[in-house]
Amino acid sequence: MTNTPRGLRWLAFIWLAWALLCLGHNAWLWTRSGTLLDTDVLAMLPQDERDPLAAGATRLMASAAERRVIVLVGGGDWPAARRAGDAFAASLAGQTVATLRYRVDDQAQQTWLDFYAPHRAALLSAATREQLTQQTTPQLADQALAWLYQPVAGPRVGRWADDPLNLLGQWLAERSQLSRVRVLDGRLALQDSTQAYAVLMLELQASAFDIAGPQALQPLLAKGRAAALQASPQAQVIQGGVPLFAAAAAAQAQHEMHTIGIGSLVGIVLLTLLVFRSLRPRLLVTLSMAVGLLTAITVSALVFQRLHLITLVFGASLLGVAENYGSNYFSARLGLAPEQRWQMLREQAPVMGLAMLTTVIGYALLALTPFPGLQQIAVFSAVGLLAAFVTVLLWFPLLDGGQMQPTRFARWLGGWRARWPQWGRQPVTALGVAAVVIVTAAGAWRFQANDDIRQLQNAPAALVQDQRELGRLMDLPGVAQFFIVQGQDEQQLLAREEALTNRLRALQGAGQLRGWQAVSDWVPSAARQAQDLALLHQRFDGEAGLTALLAQRLEQPVDSPLPAQAPPALTLQAWLASPVSEPLRHQSLGHLGDGPASAVLLRGAESAEARTRLAALATELPGVRWVDKVADVSSLLGRYRVRMSGVILLAYALVWAALAWRFGRAAWRALLPTALASVLTVALLALAGQPLQLFHVLPLLILLGLGVDYGIFLLERPAPEATRPFLSVTLAAACTLLSFGLLALSGTPALRAFGLTLLIGVTLAWALTPVFLPRSPSSSN
Amino acid sequence: MKRRDLLAAAVAFSTWPAWAEDSAALVRELQSRLTQPAWLHGEFEQGKQVPGFKKPLVSRGDFVVARGKGVVWRTKQPFASELRLTRDQVRASQNGVTSFQLDASREPALRTINTLMFALLNGDMASLAELFTLQAQLQPRTWQLALTPRQPALQQFLQRVELEGDAFVRRLVILETSGDRSTIAFSNLRADAAPGAGDAGLFE
Repeated sequence: MTNTPRGLRWLAFIWLAWALLCLGHNAWLWTRSGTLLDTDVLAMLPQDERDPLAAGATRLMASAAERRVIVLVGGGDWPAARRAGDAFAASLAGQTVATLRYRVDDQAQQTWLDFYAPHRAALLSAATREQLTQQTTPQLADQALAWLYQPVAGPRVGRWADDPLNLLGQWLAERSQLSRVRVLDGRLALQDSTQAYAVLMLELQASAFDIAGPQALQPLLAKGRAAALQASPQAQVIQGGVPLFAAAAAAQAQHEMHTIGIGSLVGIVLLTLLVFRSLRPRLLVTLSMAVGLLTAITVSALVFQRLHLITLVFGASLLGVAENYGSNYFSARLGLAPEQRWQMLREQAPVMGLAMLTTVIGYALLALTPFPGLQQIAVFSAVGLLAAFVTVLLWFPLLDGGQMQPTRFARWLGGWRARWPQWGRQPVTALGVAAVVIVTAAGAWRFQANDDIRQLQNAPAALVQDQRELGRLMDLPGVAQFFIVQGQDEQQLLAREEALTNRLRALQGAGQLRGWQAVSDWVPSAARQAQDLALLHQRFDGEAGLTALLAQRLEQPVDSPLPAQAPPALTLQAWLASPVSEPLRHQSLGHLGDGPASAVLLRGAESAEARTRLAALATELPGVRWVDKVADVSSLLGRYRVRMSGVILLAYALVWAALAWRFGRAAWRALLPTALASVLTVALLALAGQPLQLFHVLPLLILLGLGVDYGIFLLERPAPEATRPFLSVTLAAACTLLSFGLLALSGTPALRAFGLTLLIGVTLAWALTPVFLPRSPSSSN
Repeated sequence: MKRRDLLAAAVAFSTWPAWAEDSAALVRELQSRLTQPAWLHGEFEQGKQVPGFKKPLVSRGDFVVARGKGVVWRTKQPFASELRLTRDQVRASQNGVTSFQLDASREPALRTINTLMFALLNGDMASLAELFTLQAQLQPRTWQLALTPRQPALQQFLQRVELEGDAFVRRLVILETSGDRSTIAFSNLRADAAPGAGDAGLFE
């Protein structure tokens, strides 16, 4: 380190200061409670297309769902189910991961009645409203007397004299049809014709995406299941909820990190040891990437405030191209005396600079698309790559003072360059061309794209099965497709909901859906309440009214059951403030956009035809919006795919220009292999029956960055005897395959698609690049 | 101990075996006395006392109990009304117009009510023993039974039920928590192995 250029030393120190600054900033960002990462996929839609109402509604609905786990215990008769449920609940005592709702005190039912009873004259079920409009007064009197004379009045609400037609009882009966959960012996229970289940509702204290929570839940559920089975050996335990899926995904990611991650690490370390007989190169390359990542996060967080989770994942993988610079540095350094490294770096810097530039061009182009996600990725990856590159230039020479003898393995690997097949007039070339043409044509013929988000889901089958069974037993409404209703004020909102549910009733009659779940079913609009009260007055009051007729039939005085003065209307606010609203509270979305909003959920609207008709409803009714998350996210993925494909094509043109600036007419030799590799990769994927989607296209952009680097490094010293460039490229390609290519083994569909594309693409680009090098050194440059 | 007390104790003791509680033997004994036909037809007179009403509400009519199928309770006086209970449904109608209907597939608690009605009218002791704690007094030919609900769901509206009869249930008193008290007397009871002429399609 005697003859270190002073200037470089200073710059390296400044860079160190910067890296430490980023490290500190990162530490601050990540310890701040979860405000940095945005996980809402729809936040990646272009700003002007984003529907703040839909986005807000989706977020609110999701945040309610992502903490909830439902466990059904039972499957036999109720006493057995209760025993098992009690044992499950008892095993959860004392933990703080989640709160449990299972035992319900007898007071709960009374709370309900006390809340609604004062409004009984303003709450009519759809069926009673129809009867009151259509039946004659004597018919109504018969009905009222039937309630009175019936041998057992049954669980009616209040005295007959207060409600001779049992209006509140019928209204509550209609409400209770909306849920299948009942209170049995002070416990939440579910019964169908043959089976009974205890229903345990768990609410996680932390969000499902705060992975610690769901994972802490797993052992608790396992313990509960064991306790339930001990109490009732035949018991069936059915669990469902977003946290379980999050935990399963996290468990899979961790498992893969252990298997694929360790495999890839061992492979890369072994390769580095074989080539360099030292671990230093690997440590330094990792260091350069780490600095790149820290800088990228810092700068992006400063520019965008919030980072999308997808930015982090994609951006970090795009940074993987930085592998090439470290690899190139050490391959060039191999066999040189430590003093010679300054001279070597002076020669290599422009080459690496060009390699970096061509990659950054591709990444920066993403910023020109209107999609905020791609813009974030562009800034993130371009900045990160630049920082990694600067780290190689400024730090590597200072930290790399030791001897580096060429190893036999390195020489053997580099020696392959001389034996590589070359483009020319040989049968081998014709064969190659024919193969490329056939594969491409066949691929084009089989080609198809599919952006359906559902093909990216891969929860364990048992979990999916349980969730489906849970949905069937509880008749849960769907959460991926729903209506959002909005009004200028509470009353308009409720009235608009009622207009919607009226239309839904017709669709229900036509068999298009089984039912819905709406706030206005529990809190009718003030207008409807007034209407219903007026209808009752019209039927009960007066000489020919129901009260008079009942008195006549009973031969004794009967007081009017209607209040002398109209009671104050039941309001949304009062409802929300009462424990009565608990099951539906998450559907009231509060103030969103221009006014209060709510979600109307649907049951059994599975058919495509039903969805089309439901979506059409939203266009006819004011203030009603149809949200189809599956379709929205799928179309978003599709548009990102198309945009990114366009960006890749444009990037090829710009990269070609940059290459031409340095290599002149030989530029095609650096670009064509990568282009061919990309086309062949897409064709092979199509032949393998994989429909093209975003996670195939994204790696093609990375492939452009990687492959062109191979071209540049080789084209700089194209002679067959030059072993170092080939060694550098081979090492870089091998490390990329070991890190990204191994993702082809992942169980997560998106990662598998990503890994498979890079696996094929990088292998082809690496193999094809030497083929197109000029035959004699003089023909280049 | 005074002699009077001794006497009282002796009397209480001597009647003790007749008052049995909840024993399987009691259930078997009553079950063996009751006819429990496949089809039971009869007439009823119900007097119901409802707080707030000066006069008792008297109604008359007939009923059909079909084992395993359901119950039809037809009020004829003072007005026509029908209550039909099957395993899966309860339906009230007047002159053929349905005024109220509830399905057990949506409201499982309904089955308990239907089981109760069926068991009370038919004297299904096994079902009653599940729903109530039983206290019985047995005479050579007749018997009296006092029922107290076991389940909170029933306790909420039923205070106590009293039954008396011989080979049939002859009289039924229902005390509800609301204060309603119904006394139902049965007459013209007829046990059949097969449905009668007017019973076709009753439970379909």
